[in-house]
Amino acid sequence: MKLWLYIIRRILLIIPTLIGLTIIVFILIHVRGNNLIIAEYLNPHLTGAARDYAIQQLYQRFHLNDPLFIQYFYWLYQVINGDLGLTRTPIYSGPVNTALALFYPNTIMLALVSSILIWIIGIPIGVWSAVKRDSVFDQSTRVATFTLYAMPAYMVYLLVLIIFAVYLKWFPISGAVDPLLLQGVSWYVNGISYPTHIIFIDALLHGDINIALNSIWHFILPSLGIALGGVAGIIRLLRSSMLEVLDQDYIRMARSKGISESEVINIHARRNALIPAVTSFVYGVAGLLGGVVVAEVIFNIPGVGYWTVQALLNNDAGGILGSTLIFGIILVTASLILDIIYAALDPRVRY
Amino acid sequence: MSEILTINNLKVWFHTRRGTFKALNGVNLNLRKGEVLGLAGESGSGKSTLGLSIMALLPSNAIIVRGSKIILKNRDYLKYFELFPEEKIDRKFKIKKNQKIMKHIRDFLAKIRGKEVSMVFQEPMTALNPLLQIGYQITEALLAHSSINLAKRILSRINLTEDDVREILKIVKSSKNVEKDLNEFSKLKKLDGIEDQVLYILNRKDLSTIRKERMIYSLKEKMKNPLTMSYLKKIAENKSIGIYRFLNRIPILKRYLKGVLIKEGYRKAIELLAMLNIPHAEKVVYMYPHELSGGMRQRVSIAIALANNPDIIILDEPTSALDVIVQYQILQLISELKYKLNISFIFISHDLSVLAEVCDRIAIMYGGRIVEIGPIDKIFYESLHPYTKGLLRAIPKISKDIKTIESIPGTVPDMRNPPNGCMFHPRCPYVMDVCRNKVPKSIEYSKDHFVECFLYGE
Ligand SMILES: Nc1ncnc2c1ncn2[C@@H]1O[C@H](COP(=O)(O)OP(=O)(O)OP(=O)(O)O)[C@@H](O)[C@H]1O
Ligand SMILES: [Mg+2]
Repeated sequence: MKLWLYIIRRILLIIPTLIGLTIIVFILIHVRGNNLIIAEYLNPHLTGAARDYAIQQLYQRFHLNDPLFIQYFYWLYQVINGDLGLTRTPIYSGPVNTALALFYPNTIMLALVSSILIWIIGIPIGVWSAVKRDSVFDQSTRVATFTLYAMPAYMVYLLVLIIFAVYLKWFPISGAVDPLLLQGVSWYVNGISYPTHIIFIDALLHGDINIALNSIWHFILPSLGIALGGVAGIIRLLRSSMLEVLDQDYIRMARSKGISESEVINIHARRNALIPAVTSFVYGVAGLLGGVVVAEVIFNIPGVGYWTVQALLNNDAGGILGSTLIFGIILVTASLILDIIYAALDPRVRY
Repeated sequence: MSEILTINNLKVWFHTRRGTFKALNGVNLNLRKGEVLGLAGESGSGKSTLGLSIMALLPSNAIIVRGSKIILKNRDYLKYFELFPEEKIDRKFKIKKNQKIMKHIRDFLAKIRGKEVSMVFQEPMTALNPLLQIGYQITEALLAHSSINLAKRILSRINLTEDDVREILKIVKSSKNVEKDLNEFSKLKKLDGIEDQVLYILNRKDLSTIRKERMIYSLKEKMKNPLTMSYLKKIAENKSIGIYRFLNRIPILKRYLKGVLIKEGYRKAIELLAMLNIPHAEKVVYMYPHELSGGMRQRVSIAIALANNPDIIILDEPTSALDVIVQYQILQLISELKYKLNISFIFISHDLSVLAEVCDRIAIMYGGRIVEIGPIDKIFYESLHPYTKGLLRAIPKISKDIKTIESIPGTVPDMRNPPNGCMFHPRCPYVMDVCRNKVPKSIEYSKDHFVECFLYGE
């Protein structure tokens, strides 16, 4: 197999994309003017000559007197070393990379759980509604997915919240964990849990089963909401590609061998039908990782989307550009992963 | 010759939103053991539908009308199903119920599909699954019906003793009829399946005699682990495989159970491909369909059809999509197989000149009926039905100075409202009054030569 060679080549190929991405972010930083770049670092209490001196110092420190393209390399060097600047929002002030480290874990957990839900709910339903075409199951699936698909995501989240939290009261309305439980807990300081920043895992690490269970209980509704918002697209896509595949000659050929219908579906039809669905799924996951913005705001989960919204509302450039850069990197990586999945799934992909 | 397949009054209609297409309207046909029956007719005459009916692979909008009979090896399968009578198929027709019946027929007859009847389809480019290895696609057919054979083949290699090998080599070197003697030997020693493997080695053209002998020596295999052995024995003795069915779901264990059979399937697949003159068969089994040419893919389809030694193979225009040279090779291959194996073929084509190369008898189809059927010479030189004559004139002939292609005037009838009486009467140059009102009966004009036409009686 030369698959690994293909993977290496593909990884090398994303370098130009990443350079392009950093150039765009760099330009975005600089169109705002030099004063805004150093504003975060300037002590607001200084006046007169002291202030001028401080500004001079900062210009030197950020090489703002050098030509732009040289500045780019200085900046790139900084970024590569993990320095993404400063952010100042009500929920967090400090280096952007620390903010990412704090908020990303929650987002990743939310994104992964809901992606898994989408996958395990979406595939069987999509496949079955194609196999049992026009049955009651198929008809109701179609109505349900169409409704979900037509609704904006925030409405799905709000509906889930209203039904399960407000009306049925099965789940809590918001937050990542019950704040009362966290009072006086040593590994939870200023709204941040240590060491992994995911309350569920930290609680397990410290043996606080109660808090761990409570955090799962808080995570169910957001994950379910996000999954419901995303699953309709996958089901519809899978159903239509499955119907197309079931009409292919090789399915008739497979049946002509006398193998069981379940083998025809599982071995011959499903894998072929999954190929188009994988694209939509991988980009869906990438989108979720980029911050499940609306969901985090509605469910009040301190994830990266929640933080990005705060940054937007507070005109906090450091936060906005930091998350733009990271989201760009996530998308580029997703397309890399997608290519690798295709190469593994489909022998017709040449590498 | 005995008949292996008899079709009586087969009517197959298709229910669509635009009306009911009467694709087959009372087909009577018999197929004899070991013959190649050609099936010719214009597009839309129902050739493929006839093939799919025999395979029990009709789509779910198809309706088999009550009274139709498909008798395969003296078993009338359709009699088990509550088919709709002709007069009930109208606007208020219960589609859902019919779909259930069709699905029932498809599922019930899965056991004959691939085992007693198999089919090769027209489009080699799309007939194979693009995501599965060639070897796997052949193996799958083997696993569906012949896992007993696969298990026996493995066991025969394991049970082979040094003495057995020596005896085999003696047979190979000195026997006049190697095939027969090997068969007897394997029966006597209870080494079922070893004979095929030895014959495959002997038939290989790329090996020297010494290499062949060495390969026969190396057929002997070591004992496998106890779990695999007991599984293979259960399968070889056709016993129920109860808990193994469950163990096969566990990926690690599957390698030692079903995986062993799959590997053997690949081995058998190589032998099948080699029999069909595919070069480098041992590499081809690991390839994917897109790596093969159209002709190669069609051979793979034929290998799949042959895998379980069926009684009947239906070839639905197997050469139409191929270029002339490959077409010729495939025809050669089919004639070869006809002599080598005792299989009956139904060869569907709209091209009579192709049929002339391989067939023993030819049936001419028009409007979902067989209008003439007879031995190939009689169809070509003493054809009776005006439609057959028209088809023959439509074959391009290049004589000394004239190039002529004549087509039959008119078009195929709209099968939603087929004409009364003889289907062909609107296009027939010899049409008489009786043709417009009555459906002609089949007349045996001369021995084995039947025609449905009022010109020849009644
Ligand atoms: N699934 C279907 N639904 C509706 N009508 C069908 C279906 N399959 C076949 N038919 C109709 O049945 C008739 C016979 O079709 P069939 O495919 O058997 O013809 P054929 O002789 O094989 O033609 P060709 O040479 O084009 O392959 C045609 O009129 C066709 O329109
Ligand atoms: Mg056809």
